[in-house]
Amino acid sequence: MAGISFRHVVKTYDNGVTVVPDLNLEIKDKEFVVLVGPSGCGKSTTLRMIAGLESVSDGELYIGDKLMNKVPPKSRNIAMVFQSYALYPHMSVYKNMAFALELAKTPKDEIDRKVREAASILGLEPYLERKPKALSGGQRQRVALGRAMVRNPEVFLLDEPLSNLDAKLRTEMRSQISKLHKQLGTTFVYVTHDQTEAMTMGDRICVMKDGIIQQYDTPQNLYDYPDNLFVAGFIGSPQMNFIDATVEKAGDGFSLCFGEARIHSDKKELEPYVGKTVVVGIRPEDFHAEKQFFSEGNVIDAYIDLDEMMGSESYLYINYAGQKMITRVPARYAKKADETISLAVDPDKVHVFDKETELAVCH
Amino acid sequence: MMEKKTRLSDHIWVILLSILAVAYLYPIFMILINSLKEERAIGTSDIFNLPTSETFAGFTNYINALGAQGFARSLGYSVLITITSVIAILVCCSMCAWYITRVKNKFTSALYYLFVFSMVVPFQMVMFTLSQTADSLDLNKPWNIWIIYLGFGAGLAVFMFAGFMKSIPLEIEEASMIDGCNPIQTFFLVVFPILKPTLVSVGILEAMWVWNDYLLPVLVLDIKKYKTIPMLIQYFRGSYGKVEMGPMMASIMMTIIPIIIVYLLGQKQIIKGVAAGAVKG
Repeated sequence: MAGISFRHVVKTYDNGVTVVPDLNLEIKDKEFVVLVGPSGCGKSTTLRMIAGLESVSDGELYIGDKLMNKVPPKSRNIAMVFQSYALYPHMSVYKNMAFALELAKTPKDEIDRKVREAASILGLEPYLERKPKALSGGQRQRVALGRAMVRNPEVFLLDEPLSNLDAKLRTEMRSQISKLHKQLGTTFVYVTHDQTEAMTMGDRICVMKDGIIQQYDTPQNLYDYPDNLFVAGFIGSPQMNFIDATVEKAGDGFSLCFGEARIHSDKKELEPYVGKTVVVGIRPEDFHAEKQFFSEGNVIDAYIDLDEMMGSESYLYINYAGQKMITRVPARYAKKADETISLAVDPDKVHVFDKETELAVCH
Repeated sequence: MMEKKTRLSDHIWVILLSILAVAYLYPIFMILINSLKEERAIGTSDIFNLPTSETFAGFTNYINALGAQGFARSLGYSVLITITSVIAILVCCSMCAWYITRVKNKFTSALYYLFVFSMVVPFQMVMFTLSQTADSLDLNKPWNIWIIYLGFGAGLAVFMFAGFMKSIPLEIEEASMIDGCNPIQTFFLVVFPILKPTLVSVGILEAMWVWNDYLLPVLVLDIKKYKTIPMLIQYFRGSYGKVEMGPMMASIMMTIIPIIIVYLLGQKQIIKGVAAGAVKG
């Protein structure tokens, strides 16, 4: 059993900068959790605290049911894959993978068995005698994974392991890491700033900003029900459009008004906002060019600033009522730049946020 | 036009460097030819002459030098002093540089500047106080003079090690800590092998200095009991107290050879970018 638990953890550096003010996070055993956020949000520091490479200034950090605050890295039974791979340049691939086991005085034949087993899973068998400098980026990354695997750690820590790989290799390694998680059945904590990696790999995603957890939930929930403007903007690519709109009473429900558009909503949460300005969030794919979506009030006639053809679909950068938005429409409905397009907003997919607190009002 | 210019400057460089190379090599060449000549042919007027059939002495001078009193023992002292000093400098200074680069505080930066400063202090400034101190601390024997060499060699060695150490990614050391190393293991199993190119460079520089050093052993060691090779050459005298030029030249040749071998062997080991492949790029 090796869940991880942060209880009011604080990290302050020697120069007085507090990177993590008060962290409370529960990671379940065997879970794949992704810490995601922009640079400097404290995600790597959080990971390094789990590893023991950064001390915990205050609060308690548990791995399993053991308090880890003062336990050195080597006694935590964790393995870590670094962004820069951090292979030992003077050792062969085999030696790199066997090093931790040798230090633990594991019998030679067992080391050999484990290293070869990991090498075969990762397809590294032909390279065992090579030095890291004779390997490509992807192979080095696999060695780093292999080095972590052979130790059968309770917790696997990965610090942006794919950021130095090219796009194709990244996709390949992404699925390999997910597969590895299923195979090993250990707790994985993965740090990235790439939300695609976060969405595709994590059981749960922890979105962080300035050392504070913004939302901790499953990828689907983060996407469908973001708690605040930051999460809404961070998750999803292209990112969600934010439009200032006023709330008006319309019959039993409400209208979200911007430009000519009057988007209807039945959500009772909008009651206190009548007459006020809110931020409406609409994902690019929730604009529809197909006629069957058109109904009164939800159609906007927007001017296209720029169009990006992606193959099966097009990204249209539109300008409506002085607000810039991105939409994603099927290629056959797409128009070119400098043309006007009529788009319907799906009223059921609209997110509303408080303009001042930036918190979600309703989805 | 551009191409012609480059080629011309290339030629000038080749000529200049060739002159420099000859200037450096010529004294050695002179010692070599004279070491093969008979004693009577080594005089002020004929010192530049090549050996002729009449003056060629074969290896007689070498045999005489080897047979001379104390040569073997001096060679032993020189080897002992050089090996112990270089090992001490490499191990202690690399550890010190590791500490200075990885622990960042006022104390370590002061320590670093102290080492750098020690490089600018000329030996002549401290030599008399040093020989007194060495005597009172009993550091005047061939088997413990390495402590003094460690002190004098530390400035350059720490400076060079610290420079290279900064380029070793910290993640490698962190990875070793997670893998189960304590700091001593991290240093000797991970950092030390990565330092290899710098170890070789520093090792060669320090070995050449210690092997050829004359002033420090003369001042510190008991001249009557212990003579290193450079001291022996200075005092190379035959049975009647006369300086024997032939065997002297031969012994100079023989003392140059080991250090050249060390240099050539070491040079092969200096592989640029040994750390390549450890991290991205």
